[in-house]
Parts: sequence; structure tokens; C-alpha cells
Amino acid sequence: MNLILKKDHLNHLLNAWRQEYEVYAPQSLQNFTHFLPLQDGFELAFDKAHNTRIPPKALFLPTSEALLKFTRFGGYEEVPSETAPRLIFGIRPCDAHAMTMLDTVFEQERYTDPLWKARREATVVVGLGCHEPCQTGFCTTVGSGPFNHAGLDAILTDLGEIFLVETLTEKGEHLFTQLETASEDQSMHASEVQQAAAASMPIAFETEGLKQKLDQNFASPYWEEVSRSCLGCGVCTFLCPTCFCFDIVDEAQRGERVRNWDTCMFRTYSLEASGHNPRPSRVERTRQRLSHKYSYWLDQINQIGCTGCGRCVRYCPVGLDIRAMLRKAHQLPSEVLHA
Amino acid sequence: MPNEGRSPYLPIPMHVLHAYYESTDNSLKTLELSFDDPQDAREFFAAFNPGQFCLLSVIGKGESALGVASAAWEGDFVRFTAQKLGSVTTALHALKPGDPVGMRGPLGNGFPLAEWKGKNLVIIGGGCAFSTLYALTKHLHHPSHRGDYGKLTVIYGTRTSGLCMYKQDIAAWHQRDDMEVHQAIDVPEQNWLHHVGYVPDVVKEVRPSPVNSVAVVCGPPIMTKFTLPALVELGFAPETIFTSLEKRMKCGVGKCGRCNLGPKYICKDGPVFSLAELNALPADL
Repeated sequence: MNLILKKDHLNHLLNAWRQEYEVYAPQSLQNFTHFLPLQDGFELAFDKAHNTRIPPKALFLPTSEALLKFTRFGGYEEVPSETAPRLIFGIRPCDAHAMTMLDTVFEQERYTDPLWKARREATVVVGLGCHEPCQTGFCTTVGSGPFNHAGLDAILTDLGEIFLVETLTEKGEHLFTQLETASEDQSMHASEVQQAAAASMPIAFETEGLKQKLDQNFASPYWEEVSRSCLGCGVCTFLCPTCFCFDIVDEAQRGERVRNWDTCMFRTYSLEASGHNPRPSRVERTRQRLSHKYSYWLDQINQIGCTGCGRCVRYCPVGLDIRAMLRKAHQLPSEVLHA
Repeated sequence: MPNEGRSPYLPIPMHVLHAYYESTDNSLKTLELSFDDPQDAREFFAAFNPGQFCLLSVIGKGESALGVASAAWEGDFVRFTAQKLGSVTTALHALKPGDPVGMRGPLGNGFPLAEWKGKNLVIIGGGCAFSTLYALTKHLHHPSHRGDYGKLTVIYGTRTSGLCMYKQDIAAWHQRDDMEVHQAIDVPEQNWLHHVGYVPDVVKEVRPSPVNSVAVVCGPPIMTKFTLPALVELGFAPETIFTSLEKRMKCGVGKCGRCNLGPKYICKDGPVFSLAELNALPADL
């Protein structure tokens, strides 16, 4: 159902939600925007940047969290999964879409991650579509879009003085019971805005046949060429909404077994105790990163493992651009190359 | 073992039943672990299949992935042999009977034993990777399993005789009339009555027949690399050659990401793969 939310009514609504939920929305902190819990007198930061620097996956898979607490004499106990109701407001469709992909990792049939699942179930997600898409984003290229519905309970379209609200799930409907229904004209206007936004985004690279190119060129010098300027800092993966790798370490002094975000761009990620490393240099590590997103995810869930949020492009310290890397991959020969 | 709401990161509480050195240089130590809670033992053995592995925890040190080296019929304990290499395996080596230890598992697929019924089995191992093959051989030795399979051939090579694991059992295997055992060491030693040479060469010498047979290979990467083509040369089809892979692991349940081989996770989809499956995956090992 389409509803109308007046912009000057937004803070009132957010405050009303705060009675029932812990509400997270983009706010400024140290030059960047972050999803932070709303406090009294909050100021939203929607105009500054489209995406928060750290993707909202961090609200479900924190950068660091305890899995076990150690007790005395070599014992241990599970850390209970948190279940307080939460609402994320203003998440962008690329980030929400990414979360549905991570669900396939953390909520797979045989092994469910209880921490992830509890947080997902306790959270309502309200999206804000991108009526002015960002320059680094390429969501329409990879099967997402500036008004994609995946992973959202409701989505807002900015129409100047008002937001048009589309509720997408029961959870979402429950949030907006007080609003008036949108007129046909308003719904039409929103749909025009949505289509214009998607149409304004150029296709960044050809995805058709890209997987096959990457698979067939596993041993190609291409990987050496595209990874040459990489510093191996890992920012592209840390800030990626579909990256989920983590490390598990025992913090003996804190008495905890902790999981921390980890990245395939680090040497120690795949380094084995024997000293052998299947991905000894940035060449193999870059290959793993790109192949995971543009080949392996397709094998696993038949979706590209990238929603085109553009963070890896925006934050790479040496300006490596995944769009350019993939355009180049498309020029590779199709025949199988042997090492 | 599906976790059914339980955290897949929560180890089963175990304690050390027996701990003894397996090799003369003390680099390999075997731990036999017993369950603190008999219910855990029932659940473990209901899910266990030879070829699976577990993550052993020394609290405060971390976790290490180790293949299970015992068969279910041996008793309510789980055996592992750890090579002392990093901080966790060093801590495992320091454990004494009665010490607590955590265990997550059984993890992974294990050997496709149902698929192998009625076939001759050629079991080829090298070094400490022989542990899961030892579990497999023990499993097959049980009277209720042995009849399900044909001829059983074991080829096991180590660098020196001192590094050979499970010595007493293997010595007894030579006396059995329902199996053929070939042991090898890399360089000659006095009083060594078996093969001398690398495992791939011993395989070529023994020439196991590919007729109605499957081969299982577990060893260091260099051994596997040369043994697989040797088997293909002997006429084994890629669908009948199996190997168990290893990579660095953390979660063991297909989430932490690092043990992937293309779209497959060694922990969850493996560790046992056929050569036919491996041929379709990128060479990212």
C-alpha cells in the first residue's frame, strides 16, 4: 500500500518508533555517516552521502563480537543472542539487497548462525530509495537497482516535501498505520522518479558471459595486471555489504572467543600452519575477491554477489575500480588458458 | 551434524582419556577424547562418518581442524592425531589425561561409503594425513562392514619408519588375510622389510587394479599431486578416485569463507571430493 509521509513529520514518527524499537538511522560522526541509534535531539544525515561508509551488515555481523565466554577451569559458555527489537531507517536498497544474500550464508539449512538470525528476526528495515543515484554506484548493472525491494519491509521515495511510503511486508505495514493513503497522482509521480533514477545510471560493464570469462581465465596474466597497484589494505572487502568473512580468535586476557571481520585480501587469511599459502600474493587474492563475487556466488545462489553499492570504488586508496577491472575481464579470450 | 538452534560455534565439552606420542620424534601425538555428557556421545556417533573432521579447542588458545582417526565401533571416544606446528597444536600436545578440551563436529561429508559398497578399495596415505584413512580402515574391519566391500589394499608411506603412525595396528594388519598392506619409507633404513620410495612410485609398483575399484588418497599436497595422475594412468576413472582436502579453517560450517575452492567450501561440501569433482573446480589449493 502506498502512503504519504510529510518530511516535517518524519522526526515525530522516528521518535514514536523509539518507544517500541531501538532506531538506527544515518548520522554524522567524524566526517562519515554511520547507522547509529537515535538519541534525543538527533540529526539525520541523508544529504551528505548516499551510503554510510560502513555498511549496515555491521548491525547483524559486528566487526568484532564474542562467541564464547570462558569460565573457570577450561570451561566456556555461549554468548546469548540479542533479541531487542530494532528498526533500521534509511537503508539504501543495495545494502538491503546484500543482506538477503548474506542470509543464504548465515541461515543455511544445516548450520544456522544464531546471532545473525536473532538480529535479523528482531529488526525491521525501512529503505530509502536513491532518487539521485550516486556516481560510484552501479546497482542497475548487477541486477539490483536504486529502488530495489529485496530485504526491505518498506521503501521511501523522496518527492520533495513528502516521502511516498510503499509497505512491502506485514512488519512494514505495522510501522505506518497512522499515515494517509497516497493519491494516484502521487503514486504515479513516485513511479516516474523511480524509473528516471534507474534510467539515469549507465551500464558500467557487461555481465553476460562475465562468469565464464573469469572461470576460463583463472591462470591468465590478467590477474597480475589488475592487481599490480593493489596495496592489499582490504578496504574493498571490509566495506563491502556482501563480504562476510570472519576470523575466530581466542582473546585469553578478555576471556572470550571472538569473531572479527577478516578479508581474503590479507596474506594470513589463507596461510596454513605448514607455511603453505594457496593465495600467496595479491594476484591470487584479487582473483579470489572478484571470482567470488562474479562467479562463485552465481554457482551458489544464481545471483551476482555484488549489489553495486560502489564503496570499493569510492574508498580504494589507489583508485582501483572494479568496474574497469570487469570491463577489462570482458576483453579476455574465451578459450581455456592453461597455467 | 545439523545444529538445530544450537550455536555451531559452541564446542562439545570433552576430556582427554589417553594421550601418547605416535612418532619417535614426538612431533605427532594422539589424543583419545571422551564425552563429558553421554547424550553428546549419542548425537556424535549418530552423525559420524569416517572421513569427517572436528575442530578441537584449547580454551584460551584457539581451535584446530583435525580428522577423526577412530571408528565408531571402537568405543565412546574420538581419536585424533595432531602434528605439533602452531600454538593450538602445541597446546594440544601439552594436554594430559583428564584435561578439558572442546570439540566441534563431526564436520564435513566424510567418505561416500554407501556409494562404495561392493567395490574393491585401494587406500593410499602419506604422513600424518593417514589419520582419516586409519579411521576408514578400522571402520571396514568391523565384521558387520567388511562383507560389504571387496578386496582391501592399503598403501601407506612416511618419510621415516619412526613417523609411521598406529604402528601396532598396522603391524597386525600384515597378518590379516582379508587385506593387503604396503608400507613405504622415503629413504632406506636398516631392518626395513617393506617398500622404499615415494608413495606415487610405490603405487606404480603395486599396480592396484582399477576393475570395480575405488581409490582414496590422503597425503601432503605434493604426494597427492603425483599420486592422482599415477592412478589415472593405471586406468582409474576420475569418478573412482577420491581425496580429502585441507585448507586453513576457522568456522568449519561454511561461513567464515577461507576454505573455499571456487564455489565449494572444503569444510561443508568436502573435505572428501572425487577427482571428477576437483577437475571441475579451480586449482586454488
